[in-house]
Amino acid sequence: MSEKQVRKGCAIALAVYVVLAVAFYWISGDQLHFRDENTDAITASEPIGELVQGMEIRQPFTAQADEILGVDMLLSTYARENQCRVFVSIVDKNGLTLAQTELSGAEIEDNVTRTVSFVQPVQVTPGTRYALVLTSPDGAPGNAITAWQGSTIATARAEVPVEISDRLLVNGDAQEGMLHYSFQTRSYFWFGTFYWYFILGMGLLLAGYCAYLCRMTRQGRSSLGLRVISAFQRYGYLMRQLVARDFKTKYKRSMLGVLWSFLNPLLTMIVQYIVFSTLFKSDIPNFPLYLLSGIVCFNFFSEATTMGLQSIVGNAALITKVYVPKYIYPVSRVFSSAINLLLSLIPLLAVMLLTGTPIRPAILLLPFGLICLVGFCIGMGFVLSTLMVFFRDTQFLWGVVSMLWMYMTPIFYPESIIPAHYMTLYKCNPMYHIIRFVRIVLIEGVSPEPKAYALCLIASFVPLALGAIIFKKNQDKFILNL
Amino acid sequence: MIKAENVSVKYLMTYDRIQSMKEYLVQLVKGKIQYEEFWALRDVSFEVRKGEVLGIIGHNGAGKSTLLKVISGILKPTTGSVQVNGTIVPMLELGSGFDFDLTGRENVFLNGAILGYSEQFLKGKYKEIAEFSELGQFIDVPLRNYSSGMVMRLAFSIATVVQPDILIVDEILAVGDAAFQEKSKKRMLELMGGGTTVLFVSHSLSQIREMCSKAIWLDHGEMVMAGTTAQICDAYAH
Repeated sequence: MSEKQVRKGCAIALAVYVVLAVAFYWISGDQLHFRDENTDAITASEPIGELVQGMEIRQPFTAQADEILGVDMLLSTYARENQCRVFVSIVDKNGLTLAQTELSGAEIEDNVTRTVSFVQPVQVTPGTRYALVLTSPDGAPGNAITAWQGSTIATARAEVPVEISDRLLVNGDAQEGMLHYSFQTRSYFWFGTFYWYFILGMGLLLAGYCAYLCRMTRQGRSSLGLRVISAFQRYGYLMRQLVARDFKTKYKRSMLGVLWSFLNPLLTMIVQYIVFSTLFKSDIPNFPLYLLSGIVCFNFFSEATTMGLQSIVGNAALITKVYVPKYIYPVSRVFSSAINLLLSLIPLLAVMLLTGTPIRPAILLLPFGLICLVGFCIGMGFVLSTLMVFFRDTQFLWGVVSMLWMYMTPIFYPESIIPAHYMTLYKCNPMYHIIRFVRIVLIEGVSPEPKAYALCLIASFVPLALGAIIFKKNQDKFILNL
Repeated sequence: MIKAENVSVKYLMTYDRIQSMKEYLVQLVKGKIQYEEFWALRDVSFEVRKGEVLGIIGHNGAGKSTLLKVISGILKPTTGSVQVNGTIVPMLELGSGFDFDLTGRENVFLNGAILGYSEQFLKGKYKEIAEFSELGQFIDVPLRNYSSGMVMRLAFSIATVVQPDILIVDEILAVGDAAFQEKSKKRMLELMGGGTTVLFVSHSLSQIREMCSKAIWLDHGEMVMAGTTAQICDAYAH
């Protein structure tokens, strides 16, 4: 490769980097800086009682976010108009009132969840104890409102009792349950604050590496980066041919041909939608899209790994006759499945439109999730194709393992039914992070929090690197076992 | 161009190849995993310079194909080293990269890519390949409808369209009918005349005598003799 070409390539890489960095800043918008969340409320099961003068309803809590913007509470007026006032305050553990809002009893509607906002967001420290306090300076029996308490939480199928860590205190007496309330909170990310510094730092690293590549080329020495690029140039055409072959032969003798790429995920979704929306009651918002996005990602994973598994053994005739770098085979198989993945995005888009999900700029972040998914699958393809050469049982074992994997990934059930002590296990599953990313982008139409990007990258790169190492270590032994 | 130094290849052979985990464990428990060492090649050294045509002769199982695999990079030698400068086109078994569901045209590009040809090269040479193979309109028919002779003709045309630095030929001159055999032999001679280094394996001594400038004789993985074609062929024939 000539120095001029390397320079041109470096210039393009830097330009693309700058464009991506700016575009990302624009697309992710506020999500880069903070995340707004509503805390879970307990189911309101019984009213606490009239809030009269001198009574204090105190709900201790541990702050989870950086700011509290407001609180939602179910309030009741006993079906009458009350002329009382209610103070809603947040108090720290020293008894200092951080914020207070006054509600007028006349404005409170009966049995309606009322949002109480604070004038200024309340600054709290995560992990520290605070209390939400309700008092009334002039409430009297017959002229007072009430809040609600409870001790269960609604799940997909039933009300389940929860372990109550912070009991409601009425005039200092601990009650059985908790106040029905939900905070609107906001958490800030340090990443957003330092985004431009981070981009600048990475940009400098990239520029430095480009300069290094140029110098190496000028001196006529080879370097890892250049070798990778020239391998791409050299074997890119072969890769395209192999992908084209897989794609052409896949549907060659079927009547509907390529249509199956659309139909398959769509039909699976319809079947699962019917099953899971009637048999199991699920309260997932936008269930069709939730389901289809999971199915599309997992179908790709399962197809790519199954094809990748066979890639070395299936091409034995070629491998023993012609020298081609062996990684080409698993990688090209995963790429041919990736074409299918791209095609199945079309029904996904159709379902988005049909369910009236607004299409926001955040959808431009989808490629990030998909690239991570492809990277993860290539890593799995490396591992499985290596295993397959030495143990032919792998193909049957993988059928079972991939089924288990499917049930271990929240595809058709909501994340909320996963028991807390299994959550660690779920978080070790790369598919969990990638599918979660894709869903946030598609269903909520916003960028996920910065941590989700990091987790996706880890979920993709770690298996890819491990797979590549395992493959490279064993590839010379393949031919003896084919 | 090619320099092989003390090349040895060792295969570990089990009597029954164990290909499943269960079998492996059962055999391991029984203590029955026995490997037999088998040296397919032992201490083979030779050198081929640019433009030379090296004939390799020997009985079945003498290690000829193993040697070719080592040179083309498919197999790593257990000990010793092979240095190869230049592009290699292996013609070990013609048409091993074909997909029988694709048409001849699609296979030209697929097989060409596997042999390491570039896109522009294949596009430029496509017509030449199609003409040489004499397939006519069959070029747009899926390969599963070809006769075996047609498949071989196409494979030969693809493999020899390029002028590689090193050409590895393993008994492939008997392709197609008599007329095509004549034509393919002419093409081979043309390639050899054009400065291509050729490694040539054949059981036919007459072919070796006709085409090669040097020869080596392998027997049971060991090199018996190396020298000029006439010397080796005379020794081998006796």
